[in-house]
Order: sequence, then C-alpha cells, then structure tokens
Amino acid sequence: MKKDKCPCRKRKRQSETERGSENTYFIPGKAGYGRGRPGKYLRILGVLIKLRIQRLMLFRLDFLAPFFVDGSLFAVQILAFDAIYGNVERIGTWNRGAMLVYIGSFSLLNAVSMFLCFFGVVRIPEKIRSGELDLYLIRPVSPLFYLSFEQINPGSLPLVGMSLCMIGYGMWTGGLRPVGRQVAAYLFWMLLMAVLYYDMEVLMRSLSFYVLSTSRMDQLEEASLELCMKLPGTALYGVYKLLFYCLLPYGLMATVPLQSLIGELSPVGGTWAAGIVIGFSILTAVAWKRGIRRYESASS
Amino acid sequence: MNQGYSDDIIIYAAGLSKTYRRYKKKEGIRGSIEGLFRREYEEKTAVNNMDLLVQKGEFTGLIGPNGAGKTTLIKMLTGIIAPTSGELSVLGFTPDERRDAFKRQYAVVMGQKSQLFFELTVNDILRLFQAIYEIPEREFQENKRFFVELFQVRELMDVQVRTLSLGERMKMELMVALLHNPRVLFLDEPTIGLDAVASRQIRKFLREVNRERHTTILLTSHYVEDIRMLCDRAVVVSHGRKFYDGSTTELFDRYRLKEDEDMGAVMERIYRDGDAAWLQETPEAGGDGPDGKEE
Repeated sequence: MKKDKCPCRKRKRQSETERGSENTYFIPGKAGYGRGRPGKYLRILGVLIKLRIQRLMLFRLDFLAPFFVDGSLFAVQILAFDAIYGNVERIGTWNRGAMLVYIGSFSLLNAVSMFLCFFGVVRIPEKIRSGELDLYLIRPVSPLFYLSFEQINPGSLPLVGMSLCMIGYGMWTGGLRPVGRQVAAYLFWMLLMAVLYYDMEVLMRSLSFYVLSTSRMDQLEEASLELCMKLPGTALYGVYKLLFYCLLPYGLMATVPLQSLIGELSPVGGTWAAGIVIGFSILTAVAWKRGIRRYESASS
Repeated sequence: MNQGYSDDIIIYAAGLSKTYRRYKKKEGIRGSIEGLFRREYEEKTAVNNMDLLVQKGEFTGLIGPNGAGKTTLIKMLTGIIAPTSGELSVLGFTPDERRDAFKRQYAVVMGQKSQLFFELTVNDILRLFQAIYEIPEREFQENKRFFVELFQVRELMDVQVRTLSLGERMKMELMVALLHNPRVLFLDEPTIGLDAVASRQIRKFLREVNRERHTTILLTSHYVEDIRMLCDRAVVVSHGRKFYDGSTTELFDRYRLKEDEDMGAVMERIYRDGDAAWLQETPEAGGDGPDGKEE
C-alpha cells in the first residue's frame, strides 16, 4: 500500500467542526454544552465528588470510620510533637508557637492531599500493572486528572479543620501577628507547596511505567514525610539539607510558607523554592507523559 | 486490500506491527542472580504487518484463537498503545496521539474490563459519562431512553451494578459506551462468559445498534457463532497475521465452520486446508504482549 494514499493526511486537514457537521452524528463536546476545558473539568470534578460520596455512604462504617481514624492520627501527631518539643523552647529563631504553625501547615498540606487526590494517585501503579489504565486512556479527559480525583476522601476533611486550628493556635501562643502581605505570601507559598506535594506523589507513582515494583518508593516517601513533618527544614544541615531541599524536597514544604509568614524568607530561599516547584512540575509532567507513551498495557 | 479510498473510510491500517520486549529469566536462583547484572530479552511480535480497511457502517468481526493478536490490534486502533511500525488512521486521527476530539468519537467495550462502578447505579454512572463526553441534557435523555428501551432494562437502572447478572452488566456496559453516539464501537470479547441466552440478546442489540445508528462496529471474539450471527465481514487472525479477510458466509463455506466449534479446532482446520506455510515460518509471532519493563 502506498504511503501517499493514506487517507489520514487528507482527513487530518479537515477541522473537527467540518467533520462534525458533515455527518448526522452529534459530536459530544461540540454542541455548545460545556465549552472550555476549565468548565468541563470542574463539572467532572463535581460529578466525581458526588459519586464518591454516594459510594462511601453506601457503607456506613467505611464512611464514618475515616473521621475517627484521621482524628486519632492527628492526636498521635500532637502527642509526638509534645514529646519532642515539650522541653525545647526554640529551634533557631523559631519559638514553640512557630513550630506549631509549622506542623499545622505540613498537616494541612497532607490533609488537603488526602482529601483530594492521595487515594486516587496511590492506585496508579496497580492500574498500570493490571492494565486497568486502558479504561482511563480511552476517555476524552486527562487520565491523570481522572485518576487523581476519582477517590476523593471526605473523611480527611476534619483533618483539614484540625490543621487550621493548629495553625491558629500556634500563631496565638507564639505571639505571631503577621500583616496582610505576610498572610498573602504564606497562602501563595502554601499553594505552591501543595503543587509540589502533588508532583512528588505523582512522580513516585509514575515510576511504575518504567519498573514493575515501586513499593520501596512508597516507603521512602512515607519515611521522608514522617521526618519532615516533625523536623523543619531550618534544622537540617549538610547532606540532609541537600536531600530534603533538593532531591526529595519535603523539607521545603512547610518551612518556606512559615518563613514567609514570619518574614524570614530570603530572596535566595524564595527563588530556590520556586525553582524547585517549577523543576519538579516539569519533571513530573515529563515522567508522566513519557510513561503514558511507553505504556504497553497488560495482556487481558 | 481495496485501493479505492473515500471519505467513508473509518479505519486504515497498512503494515501495522506491534512488537513487545520481554525478559527471559534463566531457571533457578543462579538465573535470578545473573538477572541482577545482565538480562536477556526477547522480542515477541503480537501483530505482524497487518493491513486493514474498514468502511463506514461496516460490522467487521476479528476472529482468532487466544493470543492471536486481536486485543493488541484493538488497543492500537483506540490509541491505548502505539504501534511499533506501520501506518494507522482511525476516523482521520492518529490514535496514539490520543486527542480528545478522537476519543469523543469512538467507544470501547472490553469483555474482561468493566467501566462501571460496582457500588453505584447505572443512572448515577451515566451522569459521569454525560459530564466526560459533554452531552447536552436533551441528547442525554433521548439516548438514555433509546437504549433503555432497546436493552429493556428500565427496572435495572436504579439498582447497584454489583447486584446485576453478567448478561445484565454487559447490557449496561454497552449502554454506557454508546451514550455519546460514537461513530465507531470496538468490542473486545463482549460475550465472554455469557450463557447462550445472554449472548443471543447481546448479539441482537449489537445488530440493532449497527442498523439503527449506523455505528461502525469492530468486534473481536473467539466464538465462531458471534461472528457468523453478526458480521458481514470476517477477518481471521492468527499468530499476529491476517489469514482471511472477506465475506463471513464464504469463510464458513470454505472451511466448513460450525457455530459451536472451538476456535482452536477451527484454526487447526484452517491451517490444514489453507495455505499456512508462513505460519510455520514465524512460530514466535502472536499474542497479547506483556510489558517489557525492568523488574
């Protein structure tokens, strides 16, 4: 068969609208409903949240248990904090209140992730190994978006509330009285760090496109998170600083927002943190896109 | 292959091949230790130099034994995996570019993979698909009504998917897949595991969809009966190669196929009676390939 006879060339020149109008079919997404990607994705997110809540509510224990489990985990964190910092008044320039804000901020990042995407992202390796990813690749929606937000977990919402309380309590006991500009900077950095947190989650799971077993990466992520949740980046030096500020940047995640809140973030520190977020976002996007291209699908 | 192209061409494939790489581990602990430092891989050709042309409105059956390369072909046509070589165009798109505009125009039903949430009802699930495919409310309601009537599932729309029988579940899979009026429907073993009655029902519905909605359908099956009852055109594949492409009636006449025959026996007779010399030349070809990942 000759190459120049391939109909794909001729047909590709036709615009989607032309194709839609020349047949009698309704082409979904082209009929004036939900034009524009943000609107479409928000609508899908809304439906996914509703469906997820409906699914969880079918099993009463499953629906209610996370509220207690996450609450208990938070209590354990408070106890650990009390045991570690009970007899320590300051870490560098940070007082006990600032430490509470730090742990509350890290906990907030963790809680938001658990509420929105963690339980979806964590399933990516299994979907790749089993070939279930096929079903995500055939739909006209970003597979990563769909996978991420398919398993929203309302049980983590109280943890969001408790983290916010902890931040407020820390600011009150630590005598922190930030001005509006500092609060805005804190919120800006929290948003960026939420992106970084998501990047790290996806990046670790994207490795499943390249290697069969990534369970050790899960352990590495867990251990890093546990350490950095208790110990701020400012307390890290030498190789640990390199590790947690550059290679596994969990050390930046709550440290930078807090530094911006108390006016300690230097221009160099801010540039470094922004660079890390941008760098890891690009790395994650590349790893995911290359992974999808490389995906071979398990045999059925 | 027919050289007279037209705008009605839905699928065009020329010299399409898919090769997987797989790790060959030597036996025992010594082989495992060796594998830590040096690995041997072999190439496995799942689809080998295949040509395929499907016109608008056709109902084509891909038939072949397990591991013939049918599912791999479907995965390439839908863009799930990329071909290793060859030319491929589906609805004027290159499938592995995975454009949303392309994905909106086809649907896939895989007999062994469900698109449904088992805890939810079909009515709830359809709302998700409405959002994904951006189907206006009026079309959504019209299509839903059409398929509820066609599949006669009115009383099943509000029950949890997990409580449905396999046959009922397959009807729902079809309904979910067809909701957005796809121009092409890919069916991979839709009747697998179904009893005779359920299979017959599914076949009847598929025929109806093809006739009423002019949906182009490509069906894979290793059940001879599926192909005979549904498809005007049959494509026999084995070891990743196309062995026959033509009228289903002629295929049945030429090889004296019976409806309830096992696919293995059918293929054996086709090899024996037909010119299958090339099959012996490429014994390694065929099969759905595992991924070639590092372990």
